[in-house]
Amino acid sequence: MSFDMIIQLEDLTRHYEMGGVQIKALDGVDIEINRGEYLSIVGPSGSGKTTLFNLVGGLDRPTRGKVYIDGVDISQLDAYELAWLRCRKIGYIFQTFNLIPVLTALENVSLPTVFAGVPRDEGLEKAQKLLTSVGLGERVHHRPGELSAGQQQRVAIARAMANDPAIILADEPTGNLDLNTGMEIIDLLHGLNRTRGMTLIAATHDLKMITASDRVVWMRDGAIEKIERG
Amino acid sequence: MAEHGSPGRVSFGLGDALRLGYDYIKKRRDRALINISSIALGIAFLSTLLFTDSFYRAFIAAGGAHLSIESYQYWLMFVALIVSVVGITNAVLIAVYERYREIGTLKCIGAMDRHILLLFLVESLIQGGIGGILGFFLGIIGALISTGGTTGFDIILKVPATEILILFLGSTFLSIFLSVIATIYPARHAAKLNPVEALRYEL
Repeated sequence: MSFDMIIQLEDLTRHYEMGGVQIKALDGVDIEINRGEYLSIVGPSGSGKTTLFNLVGGLDRPTRGKVYIDGVDISQLDAYELAWLRCRKIGYIFQTFNLIPVLTALENVSLPTVFAGVPRDEGLEKAQKLLTSVGLGERVHHRPGELSAGQQQRVAIARAMANDPAIILADEPTGNLDLNTGMEIIDLLHGLNRTRGMTLIAATHDLKMITASDRVVWMRDGAIEKIERG
Repeated sequence: MAEHGSPGRVSFGLGDALRLGYDYIKKRRDRALINISSIALGIAFLSTLLFTDSFYRAFIAAGGAHLSIESYQYWLMFVALIVSVVGITNAVLIAVYERYREIGTLKCIGAMDRHILLLFLVESLIQGGIGGILGFFLGIIGALISTGGTTGFDIILKVPATEILILFLGSTFLSIFLSVIATIYPARHAAKLNPVEALRYEL
């Protein structure tokens, strides 16, 4: 296995039973993702993008197939190691931001460092730097409700970066944003991917997002339809 | 990105839980107040009865007439404590539903089931402590109001300090204990939430 491969999916499959009907949310996905790559996953809703993310992040278990991260089969990890993976190795960005409403931007961003065991002062200092780097250095003490949608997504990006993860999983990061704000968020993510060398995997059905990416994976009905160079 | 090798451990100790739990209580004051007043009222009832009993004994020791608490009053107190516990369980259960997505998010950034459980239990421990102390003092006032006319309001000075201290510690610990017991069921429910479903949940 090449050193440069960070994620490998092998025959990844997830079926659900719903009301006696079997739903093939993901059906035999094979792909290798390189370190530092910017990969866009495009497909209509229900094509399996979110299921794929949940499996890569260890939030869900596959019906069949394997997820390897840095050569480690994550189905072999115990609860502690899975939590560590989500905490240190993977940063999540959601369509709905999912910030903790009662905490300030600074507290939200420093939260992952708490679980990583970073001393409090160090974590807050890191959070301040990250918020400054996403252009919110002046708004660190605002709560999510006092920020615009675009600013909330910037806070969420800063939070995803808090523990310097190797992988960023962004599920429809521009889905709740207007055109211009969405473009700014894409530029920000792309910049982080280039300057910090983080592997960025973004699910989207927004075709504007894919122009910057190295490869585009088209999905339909839980399977990969085609893969294109960006 | 130094950790490309083997997975390590996440950490979330009692200190982290206390700090985060305290922040949550401070910022969700309304919900916390419901829980605190629920347990405080139950404990106030208990404290009133126990102090009334202390006052009577001090009164008798000082040569006053024989006074005693009716046994049904203890039954009432018992019922009041049960009502407190059920009220708290209910309030925390609602809080868990309100925080579904938040719990899902915490799990995405590295929280384990036991960390979520710890967080909810610590919040309830803090609320139980505050409620217990409040209830204790409310109880003293209640006992003075109900017996002061007969025994004189200075009766509290005739109760030994060690007895007051024991009552204080006892009612505070009972309050914390009941508050934590009331939270175990909803907290376990929160801890076991599947993050995938929790994140999909719309309130």
